[in-house]
Amino acid sequence: MIQLKVSNLNKHFGGLHVLKGVSFEVNGPELIGLIGPNGAGKTTLTNILDGAIKPSNGTVYLNRQRIDQLNSYEVARAGLGRTFQVTRSFRRMSVLENLYVPALALDFKGSKAQLRDKAMEVLEFLTIDHLRNEFAQALSGGQQKLLELGRLLMLDPDVIILDEPFAGVHPRLMEVIYAYIRRVNESGKAIIIISHQMDSIFSLSQRLLVLNFGDLIADGPPDEVKRNPAVIEAYLGSETEEA
Amino acid sequence: MASSDLRRRIPEIAGLVLLAGFIAFPLIYRGANYDYVMHILITSFFYAILASSWSMLAGYAGQFSFGHMAFMGIGAYTTGLFSHYFYLTGAPTELCREYQFGDVWFVIVNPIGVTSSSLTQDCLRQAMTLWQGSVSVTPMPVWLGILLGTLAGGLAGLLIGLLVLRLRVAYLALFTLGFSEIVKAIISAEINITRGQAGLELPALYDKGITLFGVYFDRMAKIPPYYTMLALLLVCLGLLTWLARSRFGLFVRALREDEDAAAALGVNTTRYKVLVFTITTAIAAAAGAVQAHYIQIITPNLLFLLQMSLIVAMAVIGGVENIFAAAIGAILLQIALEMLRTSFVIGGVTVDMTVWRLVFFGILLMVTLRFFRNGLIAPLIGYFHRGDVAAETVAKRQTSPAAGETP
Repeated sequence: MIQLKVSNLNKHFGGLHVLKGVSFEVNGPELIGLIGPNGAGKTTLTNILDGAIKPSNGTVYLNRQRIDQLNSYEVARAGLGRTFQVTRSFRRMSVLENLYVPALALDFKGSKAQLRDKAMEVLEFLTIDHLRNEFAQALSGGQQKLLELGRLLMLDPDVIILDEPFAGVHPRLMEVIYAYIRRVNESGKAIIIISHQMDSIFSLSQRLLVLNFGDLIADGPPDEVKRNPAVIEAYLGSETEEA
Repeated sequence: MASSDLRRRIPEIAGLVLLAGFIAFPLIYRGANYDYVMHILITSFFYAILASSWSMLAGYAGQFSFGHMAFMGIGAYTTGLFSHYFYLTGAPTELCREYQFGDVWFVIVNPIGVTSSSLTQDCLRQAMTLWQGSVSVTPMPVWLGILLGTLAGGLAGLLIGLLVLRLRVAYLALFTLGFSEIVKAIISAEINITRGQAGLELPALYDKGITLFGVYFDRMAKIPPYYTMLALLLVCLGLLTWLARSRFGLFVRALREDEDAAAALGVNTTRYKVLVFTITTAIAAAAGAVQAHYIQIITPNLLFLLQMSLIVAMAVIGGVENIFAAAIGAILLQIALEMLRTSFVIGGVTVDMTVWRLVFFGILLMVTLRFFRNGLIAPLIGYFHRGDVAAETVAKRQTSPAAGETP
């Protein structure tokens, strides 16, 4: 079973204590929302989980393998994939080539035709198969979001972190992204969604983690978190109370 | 479908026609300036190797190095010093540092700097004077020097690749520029060994001449080095094409586009950054080593910034993101630069083209950078390779949420 275990994670940037002893576990194919106001430490936590930066102290285990001291590419190979807050597609590479990168980085064993078939299947699911030979830079912002999600399908990690997957996305594409998240989750993957779009987060997540100034102030089912006074004070405010 | 395939093959067909032209040219051309024209073409092949390898480094992998000519120089000086200081003799000189291997002595000649050989002789020349031709003295094989030069350039590239792992764009350019200047300064300063601006002489590529298809060519003939440099260019282009079409090419392009995103998708970016440095610098060193034996004398001027700028300009004007475009750009520009040497008179004023040709060259570079980001030749190749992508996209467009968005 998938297990991500984050223990007492701390991160200092000079005098700033950005993460303060954050601990949580992901067990099995959970669908988790990670929320918090700007500056709460969400992106720092993501960057530590994916190996882009190292924690000041604390540990991260993925499926019993310690990953907090690994490089990004090693973390990806260990089974944790992510998207970025600002879409980072390989702009001057074709859509298909964007998908080939993670598959080949993980030593895809099949033939070229099999690789192409797999990529086409992903593109068809994401409804952008007609753009397969276009350079990624020709795609709209929303289509590039889908392309990033497609790359994760090719990477096939156990744990997926989606950083602001709904930001700037056309409502029709939101449906595609919802379907993506549900399908990937149902296939047995754990997903952590970081978003400021509360409606999406509350409707999708089975569990919410709330960060505030580097502290994990809540961890539980969305309905429970909604009523948590610390969360209301720190983040949700009167809007939730009204809701 | 068939016409689409044919259209995509047009650049390959044009390339093969061009190649056939280059292969046939020395046998067909009969002009009075034969040697001069051949020299221009040999030099243009040399620049094509440098431009195409730099295209892989800067255009594909996004590593904007200004040190490519330094690695070329390392290749040239490695083979130059190797052929200048190491010999095999049939007897001990008892003057030089030497090591016996059976009946053969491996002799290391002492450096005597920039001195007239009639005033000061190195240890081997002194021994040869005493031997009066009774002992065999064999220079090291030229091919071995070229191989060592290639390896030395690749090793230097490996070290620099490791050092610049965290440097990006302008910092990488400045670092490699600094490295290039250091290499030039060392060669200039160590006059005793390198002979500095006096120049280090090398044996010709085929010092004893060569017989090809029953025809003997002496050491100064142009045909053997012409085909040698052309063959080296083809080998380099073949290697670079193979790399570009393999997962190596895919990964280095991902590295160019976004290093962090590539790493997050499982690409070992460190490995590919170092690899691309090592491979392209080894190619530059190989070109330098062969060219050094062709021109038979090398000086630190090889490493002038202007020379590096020339490579960059050739690759940029051809198309830095396509190795063939960069190579063709280098050949065409080298030929054009030579053709523009001829001065002319307008209204009684003589235009000295030895200077003005560089002005025209600079203007062409500026116009290319401003209006044709990927050069003048690469878009042509792209037109044939990717010209039908837009039509295909429209044809395959489906009624779907994503298709509804305007790219």
